[in-house]
Amino acid sequence: MKGMTVIVKTISSWIKVFIFMFGIYITITGHLTPGGGFAGGVILASSYVLLMLAFGREFVEENLPLAAASRLDCLGAFLFAVIAILGMVLGGSFFVNFLYQKYLPGEPLNLISAGTIPLSNIAIGLKVSASLFLVILTLSIFRPDISADKKEQN
Amino acid sequence: MLYALCFLLFMIGLYCAVVKKNMVKIVIGIMIMEYAVNLFLIMLGYRAGGVAPIVTRDQLGSTLGQVLPTFINTSVDPLPQALVLTAIVISLGSLALMISICIRTYQRYGTFDITEIRRLKG
Repeated sequence: MKGMTVIVKTISSWIKVFIFMFGIYITITGHLTPGGGFAGGVILASSYVLLMLAFGREFVEENLPLAAASRLDCLGAFLFAVIAILGMVLGGSFFVNFLYQKYLPGEPLNLISAGTIPLSNIAIGLKVSASLFLVILTLSIFRPDISADKKEQN
Repeated sequence: MLYALCFLLFMIGLYCAVVKKNMVKIVIGIMIMEYAVNLFLIMLGYRAGGVAPIVTRDQLGSTLGQVLPTFINTSVDPLPQALVLTAIVISLGSLALMISICIRTYQRYGTFDITEIRRLKG
């Protein structure tokens, strides 16, 4: 698990920033262009998966520990629920777009428009990126340790 | 005709999931079945010569907030696409679950062959 060759390490350390920025772009312009929270979150997670493939699992675990990723995961779900319940408190019904109705009308096709939908996209992107990163990290932790089990059989 | 091809793809996935004995191949068959259903749903909403259902500045009339009727008459149905996006997310979650079950089974038994996995172990 020491990672790949120096060529792969150099190229992936250059390119990881661009993948991350592209994921953030897809997430925050999800109400204007194709994409949104899920696609942006997958791209954000894939930048970390690239690092995991190039540098090994331990490097990524130092950068973003398991507990921190789990907290980000929970934070995304919590933010999404908070936006939904704020719609119930301020607008009268679950998931009401209260920002668009009352506080921030905004022009169509601008970045600041559509009320709570960009905020929901950011929450979904956080949730999806952290949980997909956690899925791949936990799958890579498992090692097929057959020898110990065969000893148990005997 | 195209719907028959979708059905054929579904049947290939079903064959793979039922006949094969390797657990990983069963997982691949289940995913092929899911993709066949997704393709069928996308094709239900397609319209010949339609445009993508994305509102850009060209599709808006002189007054912002009013979509041109030509856009409405030519765009494909966005509802199956949203449904399929949700289905893709759920199939990703179920794929992760199935793969982790395969890994744990291999860790326990040392094989992927379902005919050799006979008795339960704690």
